[in-house]
Amino acid sequence: MRYAALMLVGCLVAVGCSTTNPSVVKEDRNVKDDEQRLWSRSIKEQKVLDNSGFVYRDPELGRYLNRVVKKLQPPETLETITFRIVVLKDPHLNAFAYPNGVIYIHAGILTRLDNEAQLATLLAHEMAHCTHRHALRAFREFKKTRDRLAMLKIPEPASNHEDLMSLLGSTQSVAVTGYSQDLETEADLTGLEFVLNAGYDLKEAPRLFEHLKRELVEQKAHEPFFFGTHPRLEKRIQNCKDFLRVHCQGREGAVKNTEIFLEKIQALLLENALLDLKAGRFPSAYRGLKRYLGTNPHEPRAYYLLGELCRQRAQANDIARAKEYFRKAILLDPLYPEPHKAVGLIYYKEGEKRLARRSFEYCLSLSPHESDRAYIRGYLEQCDE
Amino acid sequence: MNRTERISGAILSNVMNRCLFILLLLIPACAPWIGSRGNFESPSHHFSVDIPQEWMRLKSDRYLLISRDGPFLQYVLVQERPIARHFRHTKKKLRRGMLPQEAAQVIVDEISCDQAVLDFQVKENTPARVNEYEGFRLVFTHKNRDGLVFKTVYYGFLMEDRFYSARYSAVQRYYFDKDKATFEEVLQSLQLEQQI
Repeated sequence: MRYAALMLVGCLVAVGCSTTNPSVVKEDRNVKDDEQRLWSRSIKEQKVLDNSGFVYRDPELGRYLNRVVKKLQPPETLETITFRIVVLKDPHLNAFAYPNGVIYIHAGILTRLDNEAQLATLLAHEMAHCTHRHALRAFREFKKTRDRLAMLKIPEPASNHEDLMSLLGSTQSVAVTGYSQDLETEADLTGLEFVLNAGYDLKEAPRLFEHLKRELVEQKAHEPFFFGTHPRLEKRIQNCKDFLRVHCQGREGAVKNTEIFLEKIQALLLENALLDLKAGRFPSAYRGLKRYLGTNPHEPRAYYLLGELCRQRAQANDIARAKEYFRKAILLDPLYPEPHKAVGLIYYKEGEKRLARRSFEYCLSLSPHESDRAYIRGYLEQCDE
Repeated sequence: MNRTERISGAILSNVMNRCLFILLLLIPACAPWIGSRGNFESPSHHFSVDIPQEWMRLKSDRYLLISRDGPFLQYVLVQERPIARHFRHTKKKLRRGMLPQEAAQVIVDEISCDQAVLDFQVKENTPARVNEYEGFRLVFTHKNRDGLVFKTVYYGFLMEDRFYSARYSAVQRYYFDKDKATFEEVLQSLQLEQQI
């Protein structure tokens, strides 16, 4: 329950991500008491996130993202909000903003984008949540609703075993839900204005939503935060196209910055493929690795991960494919221990003990302190029998 | 800290105290702890273990959760599941014929993808025998949202179409060492269906 209360506050504080009337909020931005509390709560939440082990640290990428933010930042917000972008090691497609201007982007969504213009659309949307004080507006709305309630409903006790299990760490953590549809629409349209004013190619904006839609279909589930539900996403794509019709007539020379964007996300592409692999999101991992190999065709780690993907998925012909990828990885870097171990495992399970022994021994000779050396020694003993 | 922050902190603290109060009211009513020393057979009849003296069991028909000082300080959790069942945080599956190392990888990935498990670090991943069953042993640490560090020993093994696991998790400081040996005794007492 304590966590449930914190989650509730967290949900109000951090906002998922998309709008109508792009008019800038005229309200005095002097910080009020309830807004102060939201900001204070934001800082606490951010400390938790920053120490969670989920933050992806790449100073060069960080500087690049913050440069893009600065291009989008309207002058009137400079004095009140300092935007900061943090990338989270999470393969799901999501982004959320705290009211104090700290924006978290999942590696999953960042590596799905094609260029800086799409990135700008995503960031601008999140920034609009901050500039238009959506967290505060949602919080005040919540308070109004709460005050109207005469009694606090307490959940049925019977379900609380599940709650207890979740508190012990075996269920999902804080869910950062999106805003109301109106606020999301406002963030979408305001964000598009930021993108337009910064000189980015607005035609790229609907493609961001197309990426989200594809993911939604692929995962066969609606993911929270930026997405919303499928019909909402359709509506957002339509809003975006309507905006384009009005503002893009005869507009030439808009910025996409495809090359620089791809250069900056290369390392993250590989990292995110690994995250996808860990989460068993094999199609996403495959797509990410293929994209990475498109610009880094001689990278053994990517071939190793493709091999691992096939070995772990273990569908028809996957084991043969895995062997081929491991062989490529070894050819590119014979001193890389992981593919030797992985191919050794395949031989071991196939009963090819001589080949398994050779691979395991080679792996151990390259990496005597291999973290799972105890398993490998066990396999070697079995190979002797 | 300025005045406004102090006030907002006090308000938040007040809210949290109220929530804690509600929690205290609810837990005895809805999550009954039973003092059930002695042999415990799972409702599914798939396994049994000996519950140590002074440990309390959470009433549940899905798993065995026991604790002495409260589950937020230390607990032992014994579970079994059909291998075909989906995991909560990943799309991975256990498969019949998997090596213990492969099963361990599925479990490590499942835990590492749980966003409530912060700063997850695997300290040890080794083959292990649980009674006569070939399995794996993991030792890992993680933090909760309050920054408290927990240490866990996790044993797992596959038996035909089911996966069995037994873990001991406790606050690393002071509590973990206190009941490590007790957990090993619980583990030694684990018996599966055909042995019961």
